[in-house]
Amino acid sequence: MIDTAVMSNDELVDFAEALARIASTGGGPKALAAGLATLIDAAVLVEDAEWRHVALAGASARSVPPTSRDLIATATKDGSEGPIVLRTPGDTVPGLAVRIRGGDAQLGWLSVFPVGVPADGRVGALRLAAAAIAVELSRDAGGGKNRRKSFWDRLISRAYDDPIEAKDDATARGIALAANYVAVAIEAEGLEEAVATVKMGELRKIALESLRTGAGDTIVLERGGGFVFLCPAPMDVDAQNVRTAATLITRSATKVHFGAKIVGGVGRAAEAINAYRTVDEARESMFIARRLFGGSRVMPYDDLGVYPLLLRGGATQIELRAFCDRILAPLRAYDEKHQTELIRTLRLYFDVGQNVKTAAAELSVHRHTVFYRLRQIAEISGHDLDSAHDQLTLRTAMAIDALNSSDQR
Amino acid sequence: MHSIHPTNGKTARRDVLKIVKERDVRFVRLSFVDILGISKNVTIPVSELERALDGKITFDGGSIDGFVRGEEADMMLLPDLATFAIYPWTANGHTEARIICDIATPDGEPFEGCPRTTLRRAIEDAGDVLTGVQSGLEVEFYLFDVDASGQPTTLSNDVGSYFDINENDRGETARLEIVMALESMGFAVASAHHEHGAGQHEIDIKEIGPLGAADALITIRTVAKHIAARHSLHATFMPKPTESLAGSGVHVYFALPASGDAPLEAGELGSDALFAIGGLLRHAPAFTAICNPTVNSYKRLVAAWDAPIYTVWSHRSANALVRVPTAEDARTRLEVRSADPSCNPYLAMTVLLASAADGIRSHALPGDPLVGSTYDLNDRERERRRIRTLPKSMRQALIELDADPIVRGALGDHIYHAFRDAKTAEYERYRRAVHPWEREAYLRVY
Repeated sequence: MIDTAVMSNDELVDFAEALARIASTGGGPKALAAGLATLIDAAVLVEDAEWRHVALAGASARSVPPTSRDLIATATKDGSEGPIVLRTPGDTVPGLAVRIRGGDAQLGWLSVFPVGVPADGRVGALRLAAAAIAVELSRDAGGGKNRRKSFWDRLISRAYDDPIEAKDDATARGIALAANYVAVAIEAEGLEEAVATVKMGELRKIALESLRTGAGDTIVLERGGGFVFLCPAPMDVDAQNVRTAATLITRSATKVHFGAKIVGGVGRAAEAINAYRTVDEARESMFIARRLFGGSRVMPYDDLGVYPLLLRGGATQIELRAFCDRILAPLRAYDEKHQTELIRTLRLYFDVGQNVKTAAAELSVHRHTVFYRLRQIAEISGHDLDSAHDQLTLRTAMAIDALNSSDQR
Repeated sequence: MHSIHPTNGKTARRDVLKIVKERDVRFVRLSFVDILGISKNVTIPVSELERALDGKITFDGGSIDGFVRGEEADMMLLPDLATFAIYPWTANGHTEARIICDIATPDGEPFEGCPRTTLRRAIEDAGDVLTGVQSGLEVEFYLFDVDASGQPTTLSNDVGSYFDINENDRGETARLEIVMALESMGFAVASAHHEHGAGQHEIDIKEIGPLGAADALITIRTVAKHIAARHSLHATFMPKPTESLAGSGVHVYFALPASGDAPLEAGELGSDALFAIGGLLRHAPAFTAICNPTVNSYKRLVAAWDAPIYTVWSHRSANALVRVPTAEDARTRLEVRSADPSCNPYLAMTVLLASAADGIRSHALPGDPLVGSTYDLNDRERERRRIRTLPKSMRQALIELDADPIVRGALGDHIYHAFRDAKTAEYERYRRAVHPWEREAYLRVY
């Protein structure tokens, strides 16, 4: 920390070297702001040209306004280009703000709020830091769009170990992360090369229109020959709506005569830090839809029953138990709450080769009761007992349950 | 409703005049409703009918609640010939007919305070997304005994429940007569049966256009009261006549045409149907003020007797706000279950259509359908599914109405303000009244 009010040339050179080292190790605006905060013992706020929060450092030492916008607006009535003195009510030491410029373009503002010594003598350091931050902000030509895109690429590729690190980086790039996301993977099949680019643009538009569910901005990532859409889903109902909206994409495409087969999948809701999971599930679902179901369709992971387990192969006991619980939990909960025998009825129904009469005899009930229970099972579990796919899922879940049970047959 | 041709003015007029002559009709009731949905009429001798058909009959709108300001009191009645019907009874031996009218200003412009005109506008406004929508109704009501002085009671000698048959029941006899009367007036009755409560009945009207469905509810209320009186009974459409009996609701069906997108798989809903459900759930708290317009309405909207209390939809749950029964044909039927028979049916249809249309236009998805009873939903489940509770009082319902520009916009400024003023005053009278329950609970204790 520098004790004197005015920095010497040597000190400025040292600081410039420190900034360069931070930048060369990929530190970004946040690390640069932190370096400046340590050097001049001040809170440092970096905002972009639209007053979006980019970085904040040293804020534990003193209070910092949420934005410098109003302070700067008040102080620059004379249109001055130099450092601007920021006077915050109640603080005896004024702050300073300098412009972050890239060429002729203003990229943002760097504001400092000193703890003890006024920052007048450190304007040189501020300007150096602002220049280094400008390099970072303008590194992605066109500004925030590419910076934001690279964040999502990093998130999906599991580059963040810590949710806080991911959140901070998102904030620094002007991204407000939702609590949960649902991924939708979509591809068009059989497109002729001559029209592929145009048709992919159409597909993107159709899908985005369908996925407009009101819970926030949908992120579009190009993957392989198609798209992955990351849809914010803060609540259960948002995830449900994304799933429904995704399954409507093929219908919307039919309405506008898209003219090519569309295949897709929908992952389950995942926390932002685990967004890769929902993306993986969406792509797996798309693969299964293509291989097993055919036609133009988008299939939710939740509706695929046992197939994702089979696709991955080598499922662990934990994964098998989780699958079993997911499939049977609604029936088990119903049985517990209403003192019914849906699970037992289902097991017997399968054991006797789906013969209702025999199942009724085994259960000592009328066969109409078995029919009634089977309808209940279908409705509560969401699995159609007339569907071979759903039957396979239920049978597998029952088998896993039996294998993990202490009950003897 | 006597094979009148509503689309051909000249033919319709000729047909009406011919039937009037053939059936020796002596009086014609020119019927309309006020903003609160109360039936009003101007009776004319048949000699004035041609003048009435020319739209030259006026009435003093200033004397009708919520209609007009004093300086523009004279309003014109514009008969809708498609609603011409002869009452299946005589008044002092004279045959009477009725025609439902729209209301116009003295210069012939549609009156923005006319509920029927408002529904016409709503149907037209929703035309871009709800072309060809049809509506059906299930109307519940009670037939109670009257006392020795002819005053209505809340008693019934009927002890029946759902679908019971009791041949000695005067209520059953009266209900059958009501059904016959409605059919003779041109309404297609799908079914009629005893409902849950002792003395409670239900009549189901087959799908017709939304305007016809609203006309049907107005007609049922008139016909039921008239025929009940002939059986020394009182027909009441009050939503909750007694605390211990099931409330009376109106279930409104909307049959949506096939949406024209890719063929649906079994049990699958079209996108427009899903969006319409989303719109209905989204605007339900606001349209409750219109569909449940009395302080008594909120005594019915409690967690009992399958009354809906949450903004959820389901295929089978009887207490969901919107139910989507298994389709019988290519059309999808949405059943809105919250309204009650005290509503102004024109305004109720208006806000329901506007809500569904807004849902389709804005692609409002409704979440997954609920399996099981809505009453089992706990706070956390409701929060995670963003399920809202319907207003629990008229005051709360008016606040929700104030906050919803789509529902308010569908009503139009005139009706919104007039309705709100009338209901605010009604609620204030209720709030100030000291109710029997309070005396029972506090008189001896304090």
